[in-house]
Amino acid sequence: MNIVSGEQIAKTFQVGKEQHPVLLDVSVAINQGEFISIMGPSGCGKSTLLYALSGMDSIDQGQVIFDGMDLTTLSDKELADLRRTKMGFVFQQPTFLKSLNILDNILLPAMRDGRKNVRALTERALQIMNKMGIADLAKRDITQVSGGQLQRAGICRALISNPQVIFGDEPTGALNSTSAQEIMDLLASINSEGTTVMLVTHDPKIAARTERILFMSDGAIVNELRLPRFTGADLDDRMVKVVSTMQKIGI
Amino acid sequence: MYWKIVRNDMANSKLITGMTMLFVAVAALLVTLSAVLIVHLTSAIDTLMKQAETSHFLQMHAGEIDQVRLTEFAEQNKYVDEYQMNEFLNVEGTKINIAGTTLAHSVQDNGFSTQSEKFDYLLDLDGHVIEVANGDIYVPVSYWKDGIADLGDTVIVQDQTFTIAGFLRDSQMNSMLASSKRFLVSEQDYAAIQEAGTVEYLIEFRLKNLADLKNFEEAYTSAGLEANGPTITYKLFQMLNAISDGLMIAVILLISVLVVAIAFMCIRFTLLTKIEEDTREIGVMKAIGLRVADIQKMYLAKYGVIAVIGCMLGFACSFFLRDILLENIRLFMGETDKVSLIWLFTGLGLLLVFIVIMGYVQSVLKQFRKLSATQALRFGTMQGKGQHAKLLNLSANKRLPINLFLGIKDVLSRKTLYATMLAVLVLATFIIIVPQNLHNTIAAKSFITYMGIGNSDIRIDIPQGKQNEQQVSAVMDRLEHDTAIKNYTVLTTKKFTTIAEDGTAQNLKIELGDHTIFPLEYAHGEAPVAPNEVALSVLNAEELQKKVGDSLAVVINGQKKNLRISGIYSDITNGGKTAKAAFSDHSTDSMWSVVYSTMADPSLVADKRAEYAKTFSFAKVSGIDDYIYQTFGTTIHAIEKAARAALVIALLLCVLVTLLFMNMLIAKDQAPIAIMKALGFTNVDIATQYAARSIFVLLLAISMGTLLANTLGEYLTSTVIASFGAASFDFMINPLAAYVFCPLALTSVVLLATLFGTSRAGQVKIIEHIKE
Repeated sequence: MNIVSGEQIAKTFQVGKEQHPVLLDVSVAINQGEFISIMGPSGCGKSTLLYALSGMDSIDQGQVIFDGMDLTTLSDKELADLRRTKMGFVFQQPTFLKSLNILDNILLPAMRDGRKNVRALTERALQIMNKMGIADLAKRDITQVSGGQLQRAGICRALISNPQVIFGDEPTGALNSTSAQEIMDLLASINSEGTTVMLVTHDPKIAARTERILFMSDGAIVNELRLPRFTGADLDDRMVKVVSTMQKIGI
Repeated sequence: MYWKIVRNDMANSKLITGMTMLFVAVAALLVTLSAVLIVHLTSAIDTLMKQAETSHFLQMHAGEIDQVRLTEFAEQNKYVDEYQMNEFLNVEGTKINIAGTTLAHSVQDNGFSTQSEKFDYLLDLDGHVIEVANGDIYVPVSYWKDGIADLGDTVIVQDQTFTIAGFLRDSQMNSMLASSKRFLVSEQDYAAIQEAGTVEYLIEFRLKNLADLKNFEEAYTSAGLEANGPTITYKLFQMLNAISDGLMIAVILLISVLVVAIAFMCIRFTLLTKIEEDTREIGVMKAIGLRVADIQKMYLAKYGVIAVIGCMLGFACSFFLRDILLENIRLFMGETDKVSLIWLFTGLGLLLVFIVIMGYVQSVLKQFRKLSATQALRFGTMQGKGQHAKLLNLSANKRLPINLFLGIKDVLSRKTLYATMLAVLVLATFIIIVPQNLHNTIAAKSFITYMGIGNSDIRIDIPQGKQNEQQVSAVMDRLEHDTAIKNYTVLTTKKFTTIAEDGTAQNLKIELGDHTIFPLEYAHGEAPVAPNEVALSVLNAEELQKKVGDSLAVVINGQKKNLRISGIYSDITNGGKTAKAAFSDHSTDSMWSVVYSTMADPSLVADKRAEYAKTFSFAKVSGIDDYIYQTFGTTIHAIEKAARAALVIALLLCVLVTLLFMNMLIAKDQAPIAIMKALGFTNVDIATQYAARSIFVLLLAISMGTLLANTLGEYLTSTVIASFGAASFDFMINPLAAYVFCPLALTSVVLLATLFGTSRAGQVKIIEHIKE
């Protein structure tokens, strides 16, 4: 069953007087529980597609259906409610409020509605943090931890409201390769519990960890690759498939 | 390149640049006005008293007078330059009819005089000594201001009709606080109306040297000369002339200090934000070897331009306002001849504003020096202390709604940033509450108890004279049997002699009676109760060098008795030199008596007052409300105007500052707003958070401002009031205004300004701030 789908999405950026089309009639459908990545060079429109599918950014034409709702018809308030309850986001750069500690930053989206069961929420947050290996950082300031730890905290925050889909915009982009693989392990384990995970990346090694890869170029999806579930030993094979597809389509 | 930075800076922040300029302009305007008013008031009083040749020493006297003895004393005393004796024909208000209405309601002692011979001249509105023709009359200028009299109106006294030929400035009795008013008529007319009232004498002296006044006063007293009435000296005349407008100037000065402070805050906030924004660029400049001192100079130049334009604007605007504020001073005191002094002080005031602003900018710019190039390049910010306030944790928060929590948390995390807004709102609360409390205090009926007058409903003054005693008993008899009267007391003033330690004798007027029924506010100690106790007015206590508990030797019934000083109180009546005691005495005649009474039903005061005025035609019957209104009316009115202006100005400032602050905050907070929106917070959530910040800061500010107003404000105000003769002083607070209306007004304007100022917050595009 589709959890997110886009029909003929088009979007143009205006820079000065010039029009720059970034998405050209893109159609895509993502099933519940999929582990999917979008690949492509800088400026191909992959992040824009991700933000269009999550309703974070508006589109000029087309339709986005999320969990049966047409996002283009929803109000700002309804979109905000949706982001808070059914979606989780992991960004490339740490996006935290400086005035809150790590634990409070993680709790933040859930506390909007869940003030009354703060104890249960805190317990849940600590459990997730434990799973992500950062339970001992709960009371730290966001300036007192490393980039990798911060990204784990970002994933914890994305998970706090038990979302249906986690969107990641280059979630490993600012990390070294060891940290990046650790983050991918975590995302894979989240996906194995039934949560749909959708990533944007330009790194073949990251894309190779997912099970479905959409290749984008110049605002359009130009190819698609499906891979079996990652076993832990087949990374090199997967990498070869991803890279050869990239070469085939010239990106 | 630096110029480019500054120019861009100005273009990008038109609003804040304009605001800063506006505040500088308002500060300059107020400072200029204060300078103009102070110089004008002091020099006009000076000029008036010089032109009129005000007496250095005035002894009012009723009763027998030995002119030969007085002239001899004046000729022989080495301090005296000139001496004269003027007559003052005291006429009851009911017998003076101006343009169809009598002065029956006036609490002033209205009387007629002829022009003085040697000094103490009555002047016309051009400052010339008036020469009055037969049939003409000159009326005190205050009656013109109050709309009671106009040029060409008829004044009827007994059967004599006069035409108002002009209005007079009386350097001695101009002020409404001086209880007598002189009308000027020709000598021939004066003789014709002599029967209309009783004659009092103004025994007046000019000294060769004003510094010898105290010695002269002692000589006059020890000579045992006429002293049946108040004694007033040059200093008190000066003070009486200065009070009302002096208070207004004090309030303007207070406001201008606050506006300068607000201008500072604008500058501090813009500069700090700017430095933060430009940190990376400045770091680059430093790294490639450019001199930061040059960048500093450019910013200094920018604020120099702002300060100069602001000062000039303020100066220009002051021309429109000064005439309105000078109206009263011009009318009562006349023009100033110190025009060059006004320009000098205005110039100095403007220079002061300019220097203070530039000095402040310089001190804020010192932050540039602390900035290290590597720091700027690596972090793009100056390394500050941890931003995280440990006190409040979301995980431990069960009570506060999330948006309220986040708002408060943000304020606590960025204290230095919000300190700006807090300080402005504290100041605003302060300038709203202090003038209001001051007005409330002075306008309150009980304020007169700080001024030496008991708080009652009706006051009956029975003048000195042979029939005084019969008149007093007639009044007492009537009051005793009048069921509408709740209680009353008679206070009779008699003259006694005190003996100082060195044996010198001095006159002391003591008001005898029960002082506990309509008590005064005592600065120290309490009212006299036992027969061996006496209370002194502040002026008398100073002159006799006595404290509470000291003893004072007084000759009573031919015997020297030691009285204990039970208390010291402020007094502005009868020249400020009074005393009160509770002993009974039949050895000397009364000088005058005052009967205070309260009514069971206060709503009937006006009727009762009229009834008594009719019955006791020999006495002056006044309601205390009238008394306050006519005595302090001008002052109360001036302070009320100032309080209203302060309220409006403060609220406007709050709106401006909140708008400004929220605007700058939103510009600064784009990233956190985008994060919140990305995480599913709605625009309403974000607006609520900003409102929570504002209200939290505002509530803090209101509490701090109210506390400050009631402590520091009361202290400042009582210092000002003390200089007018009231030694001790407590704010009379109208709780509805101070604790309900003022916070409510502030909250509404700040909330509205916040909502308006943060309406842009929702327009933040998430993508622009999240996407790398």
